[in-house]
This record gives sequence, structure tokens and C-alpha cells, in this order.
Amino acid sequence: MLLEVRDLRVEFRTRDGVAKAVNGVSYAVDAGETLAVLGESGSGKSVTAQAVMGILDTPPGRIGAGEILFKGRDLLKLKEEERRKVRGAEMAMIFQDALSALNPVLSVGDQLGEMFVVHRGMSKKDARARAVELMDRVRIPGAAQRVRDYPHQFSGGMRQRIMIAMALALEPALVIADEPTTALDVTVQAQVMDLLAELQRDYRMGLILITHDLGVVADVADRIAVMYAGRVVESAPVHDIYKAPAHPYTRGLLDSIPRLDQKGKELYAIKGLPPNLMNIPPGCAFNPRCPMAQDVCRTDEPPLYEVDRHRGSACHFWRECLNG
Amino acid sequence: MPEQPFDQDRAIAGTGMGGAMDLAATEAETLERTPGGPLGTGPGARPRSLWSDAWRDLRRNPVFVVSALVILFLVVISLWPSLIASGSPLACDLAKAQEGSQPGAPFGYDGQGCNVYTRTVYGARTSVTVGVCATLGVALLGSVLGGLAGFFGGFWDSVLSRITDVFFAIPVVLGGLVLLSVVTSNTVWPVIGFMVLLGWPQISRIARGSVITARQNDYVQAARALGASNSRVLLRHIAPNAVAPVIVVATIALGTYIALEATLSYLGVGLKPPSVSWGIDISAASPYIRNAPHALLWPSGALALTVLAFIMLGDAVRDALDPKLR
Amino acid sequence: MVDGVVEPILEVSGLVKYYPLTQGILIKKQIGAVKAVDGVDFALDKGETLGIVGESGCGKSTVAKMLVNLERPTAGSIRYKGEDITKLSGRALKTVRRNIQMVFQDPYTSLNPRMTVGDIIGEPYEIHPDAVPKGDRRKRVRELLDVVGLNPEYINRYPHQFSGGQRQRIGIARALALRPEVIVADEPVSALDVSVQAQVINLLDRLQNDFDLSYVFIAHDLSIVRHISDRVGVMYLGRIVEIGKDEEIYGHATHPYTQALLSAVPVPDPEARARRERIILSGDVPSPTNIPSGCRFRTRCWKAEERCALEVPLLAVPAVFRLAPGPAAHDSACHFAEEKRVVPPEEQAPGVLDDLGNGGA
Repeated sequence: MLLEVRDLRVEFRTRDGVAKAVNGVSYAVDAGETLAVLGESGSGKSVTAQAVMGILDTPPGRIGAGEILFKGRDLLKLKEEERRKVRGAEMAMIFQDALSALNPVLSVGDQLGEMFVVHRGMSKKDARARAVELMDRVRIPGAAQRVRDYPHQFSGGMRQRIMIAMALALEPALVIADEPTTALDVTVQAQVMDLLAELQRDYRMGLILITHDLGVVADVADRIAVMYAGRVVESAPVHDIYKAPAHPYTRGLLDSIPRLDQKGKELYAIKGLPPNLMNIPPGCAFNPRCPMAQDVCRTDEPPLYEVDRHRGSACHFWRECLNG
Repeated sequence: MPEQPFDQDRAIAGTGMGGAMDLAATEAETLERTPGGPLGTGPGARPRSLWSDAWRDLRRNPVFVVSALVILFLVVISLWPSLIASGSPLACDLAKAQEGSQPGAPFGYDGQGCNVYTRTVYGARTSVTVGVCATLGVALLGSVLGGLAGFFGGFWDSVLSRITDVFFAIPVVLGGLVLLSVVTSNTVWPVIGFMVLLGWPQISRIARGSVITARQNDYVQAARALGASNSRVLLRHIAPNAVAPVIVVATIALGTYIALEATLSYLGVGLKPPSVSWGIDISAASPYIRNAPHALLWPSGALALTVLAFIMLGDAVRDALDPKLR
Repeated sequence: MVDGVVEPILEVSGLVKYYPLTQGILIKKQIGAVKAVDGVDFALDKGETLGIVGESGCGKSTVAKMLVNLERPTAGSIRYKGEDITKLSGRALKTVRRNIQMVFQDPYTSLNPRMTVGDIIGEPYEIHPDAVPKGDRRKRVRELLDVVGLNPEYINRYPHQFSGGQRQRIGIARALALRPEVIVADEPVSALDVSVQAQVINLLDRLQNDFDLSYVFIAHDLSIVRHISDRVGVMYLGRIVEIGKDEEIYGHATHPYTQALLSAVPVPDPEARARRERIILSGDVPSPTNIPSGCRFRTRCWKAEERCALEVPLLAVPAVFRLAPGPAAHDSACHFAEEKRVVPPEEQAPGVLDDLGNGGA
């Protein structure tokens, strides 16, 4: 396994109490594999990724327990200096908002080149040449001319390509993309997603795609980890999960999205709201919203049951759920 | 009423966890229509508003209570200094110059043999009058002009912006020396007038900026779509949301104005003796700082306490007007 | 439309909105214009939902603002029951406003953070004092809270104490307060989480039936628009390029832009990955300050020919389909309109959701 997160726990100390953002997340990605981490806001999907990247704000955040094994080494045990070497060179991140993730006062060529200067000790001239190459690689038209342009001079889709180029500059083994296309228009979204998938194949990277969009997941992912209230509630190969979800939350999500190819009747709506992270319900965190909840769900937190060799579900009644 | 507001966006800012989930999931259950109970009754029937909530909040805030009491005390002694100080601040006896604390003069005597306690009490009137009036004048003029310019935009906005630029270029002390040297009246009003004249652009610029920010919010559009008039949009939607920075800057400026009065008096263009003010006393006492530090200490301390009280009051009021902090 | 039987409740024709680009510090000189909306026509029937889709910058939000009179059109007319509301002002405008209300996109900025929920939903009654007598207003606000599925006891709370979905319900309650006939909803669910989106969409559906509302539903999400709309208009760069009934657009699109848009939408079905044909458009949307001549889509269109640069295609039933009545015969502004199935037809789609739909709800 390229990356393995084991029983990770992250909490945030706030004025009003402790918010338990991540409560024992485990997932794994292999080289050349795309893992989609699916969840709504507050599910802990981004916080987990930040912990993996080592860019979590501490304080207020605090990693309570767990291991993040990257190529067999536990990142949480590394010194900050060693950690920094891993970041950028071996794992990289693509953010949702490219405009705020890029430095507005540096040309994109300088920002791309900086990676090579800092990590590879290249001369400025060579770094500039590599920057142009990269911009070509992510199909920015007229890369040689545009390398001197500033981020605001690019369109949203082009900026996201530059972000991708930056993330891939040092050919990292793992890329985490946090909602990479959410801010883009559909037609541009398709271009960028295709590019990302192609590059991932070419470089045989592990890709963690963090998203809330079930459509995007179906288009590109190999495996899915569905998160709810800071836990992975279902983990499965992408085909299985869409065919028959083994967790009522996944089922609810799939039912609640309108579809392009079907004229809807009334949509199924998951009742209620996601839980307050300061006050997560006892037992299964989803129980107040779950149509299948029984007494046991209100008292016992379900472990991640093994559905089959590739699949897990954190539901006491995963069998019933799987069979509809 | 058990209210535990928790602003998640704020609490875990920057962690990529949007979405407020303030109401606990158990509470969310009740969302699905409350059974029974005639509408219009129940504990939440009494209408509440921002101002009544803010007032309720302020009364329970110790910072507000303390600073308000200090300010109340200052106002009272400004109006009736003889309540706590006997004798005249102008009755000085050179024979007692620089003497320390003693019965009848708890703060001692200054370089001219004047009773520091009496002078500090009487000086409050000038300083509080200058500070409060100048701040009120600046805040009113500045926020009205700046607010209207920000709200309506266009030609007059550009004109106003250029005028404020011009005023910002005038050095305050130099301007004071030039303008106030031609004034013969030895009252606080020319000084206040001068401060308002030079001070309003600062508030105007801030008010304009925060009105422009507030104006872009969708709730302003929503009010317009309902057919709300300009005055309603301004007073009900924009002003409460734009007032916070003005309050903060104005209360800090209040301290500056009291200090500026002292500076101008020191330079001889503000108030002149026989007027009594903290500024005059501070400047008069500074040459004797080694021999008689108490003569400097007491008026300076009174000045600092006054400024602090107003700044804390401003802070408390600003917080009370923000429901998110409740 | 020369139907003449039912008069549409809202009729938009030749709607144009240009924002001048100016230069200069004190005296502004116009150096150009942002052509946000550049000739839009459509009609909305009573009780109907018209969806308007398009990408960011296509002008759909500007259309919404003009419909509720937040922006004055540069040209064109908006007729509400036959009366042109773009020329109205004062009392007459205020009366019309009661009947056309808006639901905003961002539930975080569309509610005044310093007003209680009761004041927010009750504000329409203060602006229109004749709508409800003073003594009954509070009661009406509580009823409205109940109608949108919120606890009426929350009347004294402030917006920040609610989640995004609940805030959107408050926004909907405010729009309903004056019992309007038309509601313009500008991306009402795009800021919400998936599980909450469905709640709000179902609420809008229910309210339409209960209050006999007509919706103009503006969104960039084609799946949601299909779910809620009876008819759909597709906008590109300030114009409607194709408009028709739900099935005509989604099943029988004839405009290349619509086809590209539909093909780009990710479908939550991994099996469809292989089966679907993706039309990936090259390049970006041109700037609305400098719109291409002729057909405005030609710079990104794979079918573009010389004619497209010279001749502006009109929004009408294309000649090829005019004689053959069928779902392809609907308004489409393309010289080379042809049918192309990009969304797999319903029966071919795997029945996962149908099975679930029965069990889930």
C-alpha cells in the first residue's frame, strides 16, 4: 500500500468545546489507484486530508490518535523537517480554489519553477524551461508565452490546470485533490477531470479525490470511502457501491440526487441535519436520521463490518441494507 | 431559553469544514413540524429585536457595566465638580509648590502650588467635553457623509473621496497651529470644531467602506426585491451591519482627541490658562517630572482611565450588536 | 406563440442588459460594455416551472435580477399579466413586486445577520402594511415557518443559529410571505449539501402545488433543473440558445452547446462511463465585452463554418425539423441543428435508483 490511514482521530478545541472532526478514519490507497473520499461538509473528509498532508492548523486542531503510513513510514512520527521533504516532493495537494492557492504577485512560471529550484536545486533558467514543459503537459495553449503571466490573467479552468501542474511538478507518488472541480463550470469541469485522470494514469500516482459529487466519483474513481461525522461508514469498489450500497447513508445519498437521465418523482430526502461535531449522537452517528435504526443503533457504535474481501460497512444492518 | 449558539465556521475556521450545524441533531428532529400547540403562544411569543437583545446582553457584560460606571462618574463630575472637590482649581499657593499628598490635597500640589486633586477633578469637564463632542461630531458627520457616498456611489462619491484625500494630507498639529492661532476665544468650542473639521474624513472613509461591503450582501437585494425604500434599506439593513468598525475607530479616536487637546494646549493654541484641563496640567507638570512626578501622574492617569473606559465601552457595544458572538 | 388561449403570466421579450465599462477618476468615460444579457425571450405559463441553465457568466443571474426588478433592463420588456413592469415605478412597481418574489443562492448572505428570523420573514409585511393587519403578522410569520418545515418557536433566533438548509427555508418563507404568484429562484440549492438539497427541492415542489406558484428556476446543475422543470432554456453568453420541454432538451437536444453541456455532466453511475460519449469543448467562454460575430458559440463549436461567423442564428424551430413534428422540433438557435442523443434514455439506465426509490422513501 502506498498510503494507509489507520484509526485517525482529530479534534478541534474551540471556545465552546471540543469538536470531534475525525473519529477513527481508516482508508488506504495504492499506487495508480483513485480513491474517492465522499462526504458532506463537516464529514471530516478535508480534515483527514490535511492531516495526511501535514497542513492541519494545530492549534486549534489536534491529532489525538492514529497512524498515517506512507510507503511504510508513519508520517506522524516524523520530525517537521523530514515531513516537509515528503510534502511537495512525494505527496502534493490540489485545492478547490486555485485563485487563492496561487500567489497573486508571482508569475505562474516563477511559482512552478520555484518547486524545481527549492527541491531539485535547479538553476532559474532550467527551472523556467521545466515550467514551460509542465504547462504544455497540462495543455495550456501558448505555454511559452503565458509562463510570464500572473494567476489572475488565467481563466478558472486554466488556473486549476496550473495547480495540477504544480502538484505534479516533482512527480509525487500521491496526490490529494480536494474538490478540484467544484468551482468550475460543467464543461470545464469535464476537461480538468479528464486531464487529471490521464496524468494519474501516466504517472501511476495514487490519487485521493475528495468530493461531494456522486457523479464525479462514478466517472473517475476505483474505490470509494463514504464519510459521515468523522468516520468512514462505507468503503467499497466503485461499481459495487452504486449497484447496491451497504450503508443507509450511502443509499440515502444516492437516492437524493436528481438524475440527468431520469425525470424525477419526489426525491428521497435524508431527514434532519448532519450532527453537531461537539455532540455526536451515541451509538451510530447516523441513527437519528436513519430509516432503519433500531435500539442497538442508539447504544452500540458499529465497527466496520467486512461485507466481502474488498468491502466494509459500518452498519449493524448492512445485510438488510444490501438486500434493499 | 437554552441558547447555545455555536458558529462552526468561526470556531474551526480554515479547516475546510463549512456548513454550520449549530442545532444539535436531536433538535433537528423537532424541525419536522411541531405537533399540536396553537400558533402564537408559547415561550417564543414575545418579539425581540437586535436592540433589545443587545441591551439585555450589555447589562450582563461586566466590561460594559464597569466602563459605563466610570463614564457615568466622569460625566457627573464634569457637570458638578464641586460634589467631590472643594475649593477653586485656580486657588494656587506657590509656597506649597511640589508638595506631596496631605490632608485636603490627596494628590499633592503641582509646580505652581495648585491642588492637583482639585485641578484633576475640574479638568475632567474640559477633557470629557472635548473628547465626547469631537467624537460625536466626527462620527456623525463622517458616517453620514461616508455612508451616503458609499450607498449611492457615483459622482458625489468620487468628489467626497477626493476631498477626504485632501484632508488626509493636512498635518494635524501644523493645521492646529495655523487655524487655532487666529482664534481668540478661550473656550473648548474652537478646539472641538477644529477636530471635527480634520477628523471626519477618517470616519467617513471607514463608513464608506463598510457600507459598500454591507450593500453587496444579498439581504440588501432581498429587501429591495420586496420593495423596501432607500431609507429602510439604509437604516434597517446597512447601518446595523456597517456600524461596528465606525464604533471601534470612533472610540479609539476619542482618546486621541483628548490627547490632541492636551497637545494643542501644550503648544499654546488650544486652551490657555486660566482654563483648566488635563492637557494643560500634563504639559505644565512635565518639566518637574523628577521633583514632583505626582503632578504629572494624576492627570495622566485620569486621561488614560477615561480613554480606556471609552474604548472598552465601544468594544462591548460592538460585540453586543453582533448576534454571532452571543 | 400564437396560442392565444392562455396568456402567460410572465412574458419576456428582447431583454438586454449592458453594463458600461468606464474609465476616469471624476468624469467617467464609457470605453465599452459588458453584454451580460443580449436579447432573451421566453414566456412562463401559470403553474409552470421554467428552468434556465447555463454556465457562470452566461447572464442567467442577471435575467433573474431583471425579473424581480433589481436591475433595469437596457432594452426589452417583461410583461406580467400583459403589463410591462420594466417601465413601472413608485406605487405601481411596489404592487407588482408583491407578486414576483425571489429566492437567493447564498443562504449565508441573503439573511441579515442582525435581524431575528421573525423580523426577516415579517419584513415584507412592514414594507407592504396593507398585506396583513399589524396584529396578525406575528401569527402569519409562525404559520410561514411551519409551512417551510421549521419550528415556529425559532422565531426569535438569529440566522447564524441555523444550518444552510434551514436558512434557505427561511429565505423561502420570506419570499412566500406576500403570497406571490411567481417565484424566481436563483441557484437555490447550489450552496447546500447533497442530502439537504433534496429536502429543499421537495419543499419547493410541495409549495408549488400548495400555493399555485409559477417558478423561474435558475441553476447550473442540469440534473436538478431536469428534476424540477417543465420546460428548460439553455443560455450561452447572454442568449438563450435552445428552449423546449424537458424531454425535448434532455432527450432530443439539437444545439451543439446543449449537447456538449449534457454530455459533460457526470452521471452517478459507473456503468455509464464506457457507454457515454463525451463532447469535450475546447477553450473558454469568450468575454462578454467582446462577443463573437454571427453565432456566439462558433468559437468553441466543432461544427462551425463560415456561415456561422456571418449570420446570427435565430431562436426558432430549425428548418430541418419544421415539417416533422416530434420532440426534436423545438426552438434551437443553430444553423446546423441536428439531433444527437447524449443522455442515455431512461429505460437503458440500470434500475438501481428505481429499486431504491421504493424502499427508501
